[in-house]
Amino acid sequence: MTAVHPRPGATAALPVAAGIGLRAPHLRHVLAQRPRIAWFEIHSENYFAAGGTVLATLDRIRADYALSLHGVGMSLGSTDPLDRVHLEKLKRLADRVQPAAVSEHLCWSSVDGRHYNELLPLPYTDESLAHVCARVSAVQDHLGRELLVENLSCYHAYAESTIAECDFVATVAARTGCRLLVDVNNIYVNARNQGIDPHAYLAAIPPAAVAEIHLAGHDDSGPIVIDTHGAPVAAAVWALYGDAIARFGRVPTLIEWDTDIPAFAVLEREAAIAQSMLDHHDAIVA
Amino acid sequence: MPSLRELQRGFAARMLDTASVATDAIAIYRNAVLANYRNALAATFPVTRALTGAPFFAAAADAFALAQPSASGDLNSYGAEFPAFLAADPPARELPYVADVARLEWAVDDAYRAADGGGDVERTLAALATVAADELASLRLALDPSCRLLRSPYPLLRIWQVHQPGDTADPHVAFDTGADYLLVRRADGAIVIERLPAGDHAWLSALRDGADLAQALDAALAVDAAFDLAAAMRTHFGSGTLTGIGVA
Repeated sequence: MTAVHPRPGATAALPVAAGIGLRAPHLRHVLAQRPRIAWFEIHSENYFAAGGTVLATLDRIRADYALSLHGVGMSLGSTDPLDRVHLEKLKRLADRVQPAAVSEHLCWSSVDGRHYNELLPLPYTDESLAHVCARVSAVQDHLGRELLVENLSCYHAYAESTIAECDFVATVAARTGCRLLVDVNNIYVNARNQGIDPHAYLAAIPPAAVAEIHLAGHDDSGPIVIDTHGAPVAAAVWALYGDAIARFGRVPTLIEWDTDIPAFAVLEREAAIAQSMLDHHDAIVA
Repeated sequence: MPSLRELQRGFAARMLDTASVATDAIAIYRNAVLANYRNALAATFPVTRALTGAPFFAAAADAFALAQPSASGDLNSYGAEFPAFLAADPPARELPYVADVARLEWAVDDAYRAADGGGDVERTLAALATVAADELASLRLALDPSCRLLRSPYPLLRIWQVHQPGDTADPHVAFDTGADYLLVRRADGAIVIERLPAGDHAWLSALRDGADLAQALDAALAVDAAFDLAAAMRTHFGSGTLTGIGVA
């Protein structure tokens, strides 16, 4: 069997099903075996090459699967000018592969022209809210499409913050018309590290704004919980995911695994759990 | 209350201030940032890492990350200046060929991501035949966008080859084999590294830098009085290294 899923049209939304974050070690397997996965997500920057086999490979993946572009380098919250070269590369990629979704993180990564290539936390203030909203709108205008914005796992809470993270996230969506990529593991990690109530967090997010959910593993062996994307989804995060889809309804859900990447079959098992929970949710509301 | 910009500058300064022992959460970010750069460089420079050993490489990567700010949100484009950093780094200078190996690895990585050429050799050669004799000297030839030229007094290609996964050749490398003149390019999606005659290398380097045919011929003859222009044209149009012509 080859193409399991028909190629969605340019404006099609992500399939309401479990997907997998596709990383370089699994490209060969996916091309050869065409596994039955509803959709894949890639890191946008890994396909910013001007040409060559990397892009040709992505075209072959895209021919058979719905695709989501997930950016890690836009530096949405930076006070430096928006990087128009970076943005144009993203647009070129989106124009080429016609993804079902394009997402970025609610964070900053650069200041004074120096990039740190890491998702750094924002203070949650009126000033940063206005700044981020203007940037999200600028990116949406340039891309000519809706952006999905993801909540961050963070280890530093600014004393200057005056707005709860969940309210900040919800307001960005309300003001810009962007939609939200809710990372349930990040909510769990922040809740544990900062002593906030994850259910109150979910309750602050308007269900209509939620377009995608992320699930990943973390490291709970030290004094603080670290979002490693290097382990199976924890039981407590699966439980919180159940609460999330009870509130948000069925939402396209991605399994992310970025360090100590396991065999593809491990990711398929994680995706199958998410899929069964989505299916089970159907049974409840039916 | 400090502005958002002040908060970001303050966060960045604390994050990379290695003189202070950050006991707070900012240390997590410092470790993550340095690990990201170490991993990115290890992926791009695996042979350099094998030659220096992992601990040396990690220390060099950290020193580079602190000395040379990343200028892009795309980590795939990080590391272009790492070979030059190694060349100037006192500990690395004890293995003088390491910086050249790193230059080769960057060229490989850069060529892999370069734009597609799409030149039509048959059409180019047909067009070449119609160029008037008095215009030949001022002709410019275009290289495929993936072409990278480098030279080294060390047997770079051999060092690189014996460190490739699955290579079963004798890992002993003789260092008295003369200089390496290398062309790195992409052909049918795969990286090709060719060892060139010195004249061809000088000729292609001049053409790459925008020289016209007369100037490039002078550059080639300067290093090899027996340089054969017609043979070089045949070879490098035939292989896809040269892809087009233009008259200045």
